[in-house]
Amino acid sequence: MKTTLYAQMMKVNLRGFLNYAFGSAFYLLIIFWLYPGIAKNAAAIDSIVDSMPEGFGRAFGFSGFDSAEAFISGEFYGLILVLILSIVCVQLSTKLMAKLVDQGSMAYLLSTPTTRGQIAFTQAVVLVTGLVIILGVTTIAGFAGNAWFLGDEYALDTSAFLQMNLSAFLLFFAVGGISFLVSSLASDEKKALGIAGAITFGFFSMDLLGKLSDQVEWIRSLSVFSLYRPADITNGNANIAATSLVLLAIGIVTFGLAVALFRRRDLSL
Amino acid sequence: MLTIQRLTKKFSGGKGIFDVSFEVRKGEVFGFLGPNGAGKSTTIRHIMGFMKPDSGTVTVNGLNTWREQGNVQAYVGYLPGEIAFFDGMTGKTFLDFMAKLRGMKEPGKRNRLIERLQFDVNTPIRKMSKGMKQKVGLVAAFMHDPELIILDEPTSGLDPLMQKVFIELVLEEKARGTTFLMSSHSFPEIERTCDRAAIIKDGGIVAVKDIHELQSMQRKLFEVTFETPAEARAFAESGLPVESIEGNRARVAVQGNYDLFAAETAKRKVRNIDTFTQNLEDVFMNYYDRKEATRT
Repeated sequence: MKTTLYAQMMKVNLRGFLNYAFGSAFYLLIIFWLYPGIAKNAAAIDSIVDSMPEGFGRAFGFSGFDSAEAFISGEFYGLILVLILSIVCVQLSTKLMAKLVDQGSMAYLLSTPTTRGQIAFTQAVVLVTGLVIILGVTTIAGFAGNAWFLGDEYALDTSAFLQMNLSAFLLFFAVGGISFLVSSLASDEKKALGIAGAITFGFFSMDLLGKLSDQVEWIRSLSVFSLYRPADITNGNANIAATSLVLLAIGIVTFGLAVALFRRRDLSL
Repeated sequence: MLTIQRLTKKFSGGKGIFDVSFEVRKGEVFGFLGPNGAGKSTTIRHIMGFMKPDSGTVTVNGLNTWREQGNVQAYVGYLPGEIAFFDGMTGKTFLDFMAKLRGMKEPGKRNRLIERLQFDVNTPIRKMSKGMKQKVGLVAAFMHDPELIILDEPTSGLDPLMQKVFIELVLEEKARGTTFLMSSHSFPEIERTCDRAAIIKDGGIVAVKDIHELQSMQRKLFEVTFETPAEARAFAESGLPVESIEGNRARVAVQGNYDLFAAETAKRKVRNIDTFTQNLEDVFMNYYDRKEATRT
């Protein structure tokens, strides 16, 4: 870990982190604001959802309107947050490694008494810091929204809400690790962006497809996104300990591999 | 100071560097010459520890540059051939950033260098011209008083005045005992700074020569304008390697045999003499071709 490099990278990227964080927080607040109105008409909306094709509600998170956390998990944690953080992971990991190698500025970092391991590790910490900031601000916004819009009338299950955030963090720790690994091995910025994007959104689509239809449900099990099930957290069906451990392990292994392989590779700088 | 031993790196397609060996002694300015694609940059990448050799070693101060990457850099200053800085920085923030990464405390030398090279350090880098970026790069390479400075095409983009300042700078550092390795195309800068030079071609070292030897290999072209075409023709028949005659002008290539050239020229009425210096690339290509010829 090189604090000078960390400080510089945070300075450059902080604005981006905060943009995503406040965008995400704002969206979540809107969802909170909407909930009381929805809850009053829960029965009518449920009947609309029931009339939709089977699997549709599951795929897009219309998982129920009977509790605040179920609504929030469906409308925000199931799709919007996943999209935001997928974009952050793919873009940021490319920017932190492959771009520096591609444009050549990595040569300057490596011409100082700094090992490659230190550089790759520092950049990985920057990526994780970004995720923590975005999810941290989102979580705080959730508690604020709870206090503002829900109050005592529609109690939010705060433990389920925290678990959703933790689970989302671990999912993107893993997804970020995979993107970072791709980025650390690439010499071409566009290629890194393309491959990491294809993997991330490939996983995302496989998860979505599996949710849409029972016939291809097996396809979900190939995707890391299936280890993140905010709807199951709210209805208590999630095995959060096991999925969390797997996601954590994927993240640690991919970040570890990224650092180890970056130390050994040839750089055309 | 810098030792390269039997360094080999093969790339797909048969390119690469093969069995490259040379040594740069402490306090010496060493030129590294060769046409584009000959392997200069690949060799420098190995010196900087950016690439892992297939076989052979590069050591600086006895430290292996691949295995000790991160430690070696404490002694080394580096100017990349193609400079790329970081986004959103000015010259000053970049140099501050580099100084911090190097753990430097004393900015005196940096400020003196900026003054010498005369540029506005507060300009955002993306608005800088190539020459200005080159100056920032030179400050970054020199500012921490490294023992060894690696310069890849150091004067590209600098105007003649700044090239002169650069040469002075190198000579001052050399007087203080700093060792240099610099790749270059420009003969004046090599001629005036280097003690020895290695010539690389197609991935192999062709020769490591004293700079005086290289100078004697350099051919100079003289274009002599005589009073009459007859004189020019007579001049051509005098045994000098005359390349072409055009009216009363004769073009002659001189390499070492200045006496004969001067004598033959002085016998006739001369209106004008122009000289064309052969560039370095031609010098060693010439050298290389002759070596090939003797081998076959």
